[in-house]
Amino acid sequence: MGISRRLFLALAAASPLSAHSWAADWAAIEAEARGQTVYFNAWAGSETINAYIAWAGQQVAQRFGITLRHVKIADTAEVVRRVRDEVKAGKLEGSVDLVWINGENFRAMKADRLLFGPFTETLPNYRYVDTDGKPTTLFDFAEGVEGLESPWGMAQLTFFGDGAKIAAPPGSMVEFADFAKANPGRVTYPAPPDFHGTTFLKQVLVETVADPTILSVAVGKDQFMAVAQPMLALLDRLHPYLWREGRQFPQSQAQTKQMLADGELLVALTFNPNEPANLVASGELPSSTIAWQHRNGTIGNTHFVAIPINARARAAAQVVANFLLSPEAQARKADLRVWGDPTVLAISKLAPGDAKLFAASAVQGGVSLPALAIPEPHASFVPLIEAAWLDRYGA
Amino acid sequence: MRFGVAQSFGIGLVAFLWGLPLAASLAAFAATALDFAAWNSLLHHPQLPEALPLSLWTGTAGLAAALAAALLVTMGFYGTAHWQKLQTSTAVGLSIPHLAFAIGFGFLVMPSGFLARLFVGGSEPPQWVTAQDPLGLALIACLALKETPFLIAMIWSVLAQGDVGPALAGHWRSARSLGHGAGSVWLRVLLPQIVARLRWPIAIVWVYGVTVVDMALVIGPTQPPTLAVIVWADLNNAAEDINARGSAGAMLMTLALAAAAALAWLAVSLAGKKMRRFMTGGPSSFGVPKTSTTLLTAAMIAIYSLVLFTLSGMSLAGYWPYPRLVPDTVRFAAWQGLIANGGPVVLSLMLALTSSALALGLVVLWLEAVPARWDRALTISAVASLTLPAIAMASGQYRFFLELHLTGTQLGLFLAHFIPVFAYVFIVLKGPFRTFDPRFQAVAHGLNAGALRFWVSVKAPLLKAAIAIAAAVGFSVSMVQFVPAQLIAAGRFSTLPMEAVTLASGGSRSLTAAYALALAVLPMFAFLLAQMLGHSRWRLAWN
Repeated sequence: MGISRRLFLALAAASPLSAHSWAADWAAIEAEARGQTVYFNAWAGSETINAYIAWAGQQVAQRFGITLRHVKIADTAEVVRRVRDEVKAGKLEGSVDLVWINGENFRAMKADRLLFGPFTETLPNYRYVDTDGKPTTLFDFAEGVEGLESPWGMAQLTFFGDGAKIAAPPGSMVEFADFAKANPGRVTYPAPPDFHGTTFLKQVLVETVADPTILSVAVGKDQFMAVAQPMLALLDRLHPYLWREGRQFPQSQAQTKQMLADGELLVALTFNPNEPANLVASGELPSSTIAWQHRNGTIGNTHFVAIPINARARAAAQVVANFLLSPEAQARKADLRVWGDPTVLAISKLAPGDAKLFAASAVQGGVSLPALAIPEPHASFVPLIEAAWLDRYGA
Repeated sequence: MRFGVAQSFGIGLVAFLWGLPLAASLAAFAATALDFAAWNSLLHHPQLPEALPLSLWTGTAGLAAALAAALLVTMGFYGTAHWQKLQTSTAVGLSIPHLAFAIGFGFLVMPSGFLARLFVGGSEPPQWVTAQDPLGLALIACLALKETPFLIAMIWSVLAQGDVGPALAGHWRSARSLGHGAGSVWLRVLLPQIVARLRWPIAIVWVYGVTVVDMALVIGPTQPPTLAVIVWADLNNAAEDINARGSAGAMLMTLALAAAAALAWLAVSLAGKKMRRFMTGGPSSFGVPKTSTTLLTAAMIAIYSLVLFTLSGMSLAGYWPYPRLVPDTVRFAAWQGLIANGGPVVLSLMLALTSSALALGLVVLWLEAVPARWDRALTISAVASLTLPAIAMASGQYRFFLELHLTGTQLGLFLAHFIPVFAYVFIVLKGPFRTFDPRFQAVAHGLNAGALRFWVSVKAPLLKAAIAIAAAVGFSVSMVQFVPAQLIAAGRFSTLPMEAVTLASGGSRSLTAAYALALAVLPMFAFLLAQMLGHSRWRLAWN
């Protein structure tokens, strides 16, 4: 390796400047992008999502002469570690050009200065993003985005089950506990630190905390334990009626989904509000499936695409990110027959022709009464929630 | 070819192709694992006091049950017409990936599973604790069932060896003439010799059971899970300090294994002294429990058949709720996706063929050219490389390959497959080669046959069963490599397990089952072929 770490860091530090000079001329970026290959590292656990990425690949090939390769990964943390290893080794020409990311993976890459940018404000389609209505496009798990990742889609905690077995779905965590009491052994949630399990706990916290304003700022351990008492009290009340009396928990959201389909559970949860509808469409759940959110809202967030600092095809990666933000690509993504991932755009900002692309149709298994998306608590809550849970219920 | 060129060549090649990348990953691993803060955080993990014993308990019990079952099946069937036929079932059992077996077995025993549907029914599944039980009994059952075919195949490869089979047949006749019953001969004469040759394969089954993650995630206990699951989750985290805690956990697991192995060795040598009276006693009329061994074998074949049946059903199932015995909806999407995308299959096949061929060649070169006293270092490195979680070593290996510009290249991908394959092939072949009866060579020498001629005409044919089974084991190990191959491939190549694992991360049971079955097909052919090639020409006088 000819390049020293110091030189590499100097080059890396210089890159935002060069991004600004490129911003002056988007056409120049498009010209540079032609012929480049973008290795897009994206979680590949869903056939519908993989098919959408394949479609996007065809489009950018036709329109911009870019080859888009979907690098299928099982866990985004793998990409974080790979880029970190490459940068530590001083490798300027990395293996990742674009990564599907959010939450703690973004926080880790941002903290370790592993991301290229800021670049999002220079993307022509960024102006359509609903930054006012969807503040999570600016704050990813309360971490400032600062132009280092481009919004791609919206997620919101959603519950689902068989409408033929559930007369009235619980509209709050208190009602969820009552529902569990009435159906002992038939509800549960994935054990944290599984992402969905942690989100379930955050939802309990959000619904039980006395003063919600405290959730948006950093918290220390002692203060957290005081704030979390109502959350723990509700969990204490809920757990005896959970699957296996709350002594064992499923390991993942996928497992709760499967247990619902098998008939072992009455309720499963997801972060993609349209996943239940997808599962009905693919024949994995019955058409009587219903999906719901809590009356006063559920935890919501945004997922993004980011460009690592050592990406080879930075120009083409930006063009792809911009294409993924286009009304056409966003509308197709939001279509339940394709993927059903809610858009990050503000429909009101679009030209009337583009806005029409988003005309929603009711589908079986879709959320009937969409509720407010509640921003994630500050990132400092996550390790404290997980540690408190592990101490109290982990063994 | 005793000393000199061949020896240096053997040591040099193994050190360069295998030892160097391994040393680089071990060094990087040690650097992250020797971190005070990480150990501090690990030792304060509330689940650790239960998780570590749970890991040792499930892995050890799984091995004990598998070993007992494999030895009983051998006692019941070796020397009968069924022994060779049984090897076909063994090949099928061996080729099913561990994760797939856990999913299929889980679907048999879980409350909403096939057996409950068949025998309990009702509109809602019973609330049994038959999978993910706190004591890990389901995991133990799964490990025992899955490892039994491997141990039977290992025993088969020893017994089919040209130098061992006839010798044991002689021991058998002597002991019978002394008035020992069949069971007594097995216990006192044959099993000790077989187990002594299989020490290292038995050790890796144990290590595998204690450190297994994929099976434990599906069917193992959860609160707390086994230590391997905690370590795996930590190593998968995006945060470096949590990764370091995972590395420390992996090191703790390795130390615990070493300590337990030392204890086991001590116990065996102490018991050996006590056992001496029993072992040399007799004659005893103790027979082979024919009925029990037949029932045990039949039960295992039945379970495997049901697992394969449910996996096939699952791969085609859409909605399949309790208590239905057949799915409500059928979907072919999983198989269609697999068939439409043939590239990864071909790449996996090529990698498995080339990596197992090179590993076989190098291991044979080592065992022929390098004196046995060098084995210890190689064995310890091989077992260590299989003990530590692949993900714990992947990072160091990735950085080493980055320096050599090997990431994203075919050569790098090949080496990522070759490294674990070599370790397995060496462990399987070491016993048969190092215990090979030296008198064959003395005779050949006396007959003025050269070293090469002796090897080709005498030694290789006598050891062909072991060589064939080692090649098949190498092939199947290559077929399931995910980490660190995924890192080294850097998205430039995709193999069948990479497709399978990434698609399975969405939790679709039909996709997982379809890919698991696809992953089983090629290794199954490899094992069947190995048994055909390794089948001895001798008809032994037995009974």
